[in-house]
Amino acid sequence: MLESLLAVGGLMLLRDSVEWEGRSLLKALVKKSALRGEQVHVLGCEVSEEEFREGFDSNINSRLVYHDLFRDPLSWSKPGKALPGGPLEALRALDKRTVSGPATIALDSLSWLLHHLPCPTLCQTLHALSRQDSCPGDTPPGEQVRVLGLLHEELHGPGPLGALSSLAQTEVTLSGMMGQASAQILCRRPRQRPTHQTQWFSILPDFSLELQAEPPLESQPRSDPHTPSVDPTTHLTFNLHLSKKEREAKDSLTLPFQFSSEKQQALLRPGLGQATSHIFYEPDAYDDLDQEDPDDDLDV
Amino acid sequence: MAVAGTSGTGTRSTGSMVAAASTNNVTSFQRRGPRASGADSGCSRLVSIAGTRRSVRNGQLLVSTGLPALDQFLGGGLAVGTVLLIEEDKYNIYSPLLFNYFLAEGIVSGHALLVASAKEDPADILQKLPAPLIDHSYKKECDEDICGHKMESDIKMKIAWRYQLFPKMEGRPVLSSGFGHDYDISKRIPQELIETSKWHGFFLPEKISSTFNVESCSLTSGYMKLLQFIQNIIYEEGFDGSNPQKKQKNILRIGIQNLGSPLWGDDICCAENCDASHSLTKFLYILRALLRTSLSACIITVPTHLIQNKAVIARVTNLSDTVVGLESFIGSEKETNPLYKDYHGLIHIRQIPRLNNLIYDISDVKDLAFKLKKKLFTIEVRENFYV
Repeated sequence: MLESLLAVGGLMLLRDSVEWEGRSLLKALVKKSALRGEQVHVLGCEVSEEEFREGFDSNINSRLVYHDLFRDPLSWSKPGKALPGGPLEALRALDKRTVSGPATIALDSLSWLLHHLPCPTLCQTLHALSRQDSCPGDTPPGEQVRVLGLLHEELHGPGPLGALSSLAQTEVTLSGMMGQASAQILCRRPRQRPTHQTQWFSILPDFSLELQAEPPLESQPRSDPHTPSVDPTTHLTFNLHLSKKEREAKDSLTLPFQFSSEKQQALLRPGLGQATSHIFYEPDAYDDLDQEDPDDDLDV
Repeated sequence: MAVAGTSGTGTRSTGSMVAAASTNNVTSFQRRGPRASGADSGCSRLVSIAGTRRSVRNGQLLVSTGLPALDQFLGGGLAVGTVLLIEEDKYNIYSPLLFNYFLAEGIVSGHALLVASAKEDPADILQKLPAPLIDHSYKKECDEDICGHKMESDIKMKIAWRYQLFPKMEGRPVLSSGFGHDYDISKRIPQELIETSKWHGFFLPEKISSTFNVESCSLTSGYMKLLQFIQNIIYEEGFDGSNPQKKQKNILRIGIQNLGSPLWGDDICCAENCDASHSLTKFLYILRALLRTSLSACIITVPTHLIQNKAVIARVTNLSDTVVGLESFIGSEKETNPLYKDYHGLIHIRQIPRLNNLIYDISDVKDLAFKLKKKLFTIEVRENFYV
């Protein structure tokens, strides 16, 4: 499933935490896009360019277009040199730069941008980035712009996290167990139910992605989630169950208003060509069917 | 007036009575003034606009929300001049459906539309509206549905067999022609219907200028532009009666999507103590003033699950007229709960307005659930087996 993530356009959030870092997954996805021949733009804010490019071989590095906000975020050096106007202008420049063809934009991190920009502004800019401004109408899925954003979820409150997740098409939350990293992938298509999936993976030193099966669970010090279930029907002073004989007796009991099926159907569907009314007589169990007139005994 | 002399006595045969009533009034009282022409027997001197009807309780002018079941629970329909607020479900799957039903009903009834969104282009929204169903095909589907139910219930009902044929839903309201249509979600609305309709779109990324100035007033600039846009449309098209209209009066249906989300520039979803916390409430107040003075009805969807401050949610609810909340079961533990297995979510009708009235017009039923079938969005009373 992680491979098919790159087929979907839009915003993809990579939520990582202190225990499970997400930059290596980001670099793995960047490498995958670069190997597919797409344009890749990276906006680096948290680590230096050398550190980001480390581990990539030269053909990938030649495809990466790096926009550096780490060295001089406030543009104190000679103005006009690189990315004036701060992070907002940098994002807008990215929006205008992707001219044609599929492209991937990696934001190194959204957390840094959230701290430096007001959240609504960032959301609006991200939305504009991941939309198709150049080609109105339906673009084929391979041609879309993908925005990968790394988000450190422990740095933000529920507000910005909720706002960004409502914008994202895909949300990958990193977690893991016993040294094995896993990604919980939540995929939101526009009019369909969101799909949830967990994928175990590992990243090799050259930043290629290796998918793995779920690790065996034996040596887990898991707290027992099931308390022994108590059957509430034991130790009762009344009986809630029916034995087989009792059930048969119950089924064969004739209920007082249970009529034969033709009478039921006739009562349910009245008025079909009935000029006169019908009388249905079904003798009860206690009815006496003796035709004699009981008044004959009287000597009157 | 040959009829006048002998009327009033009850000893006439029914045949002649009917004949007399059809030609003249049965009573000897004559109406002075211009006689209302046409077949509207109930609204003699009131102008009848297509797609609306008068409420039976207090004479309020109502429009349909597009879902006859929802109309029934809202007291007959949505009153003209009021706001219907839909609290979105968590993954925003079902609230666009209600939004689309409202707009589709507007197109089918011939009303003017105003669609505002910060996320999607209004032209795209209009392309995805559901197609209206012709009456007999829908009834056929309903009958099949009921027959399907009957086959199972024949076996089940041993004691209560007289109730076998009752439909599972509350009685479907009788639809007079022109009010409330049925739609098929699996099909798109035909293109010619959209082209013949009059619609105005407001797409925020196009309208807002690229320079982000600090706003001096407390309304976010996106909201301000939207209010100006709505006011212009109402004034120019004459929905508020300011320009004496020569053409027929019509209703303006306004639909605003995802109001309050960060895409509108509002940060109530992002922080608990935000700077522009009164922006949305001011917007709603001014919007309601615009609606009350014009022939329009509005539907708004708000992602209240994202709003961090509960006080803001309460204020937004109080400032709207009708509030319907959607709670979907996706991702929550209710999805696997056997109590809810037939449904996709719950509908909470949180508020109903009291317009020119002393009492609320609510139904007694509080436990409503919805289900999204392949072609329909149905609202049902949740059958509670534990009562």
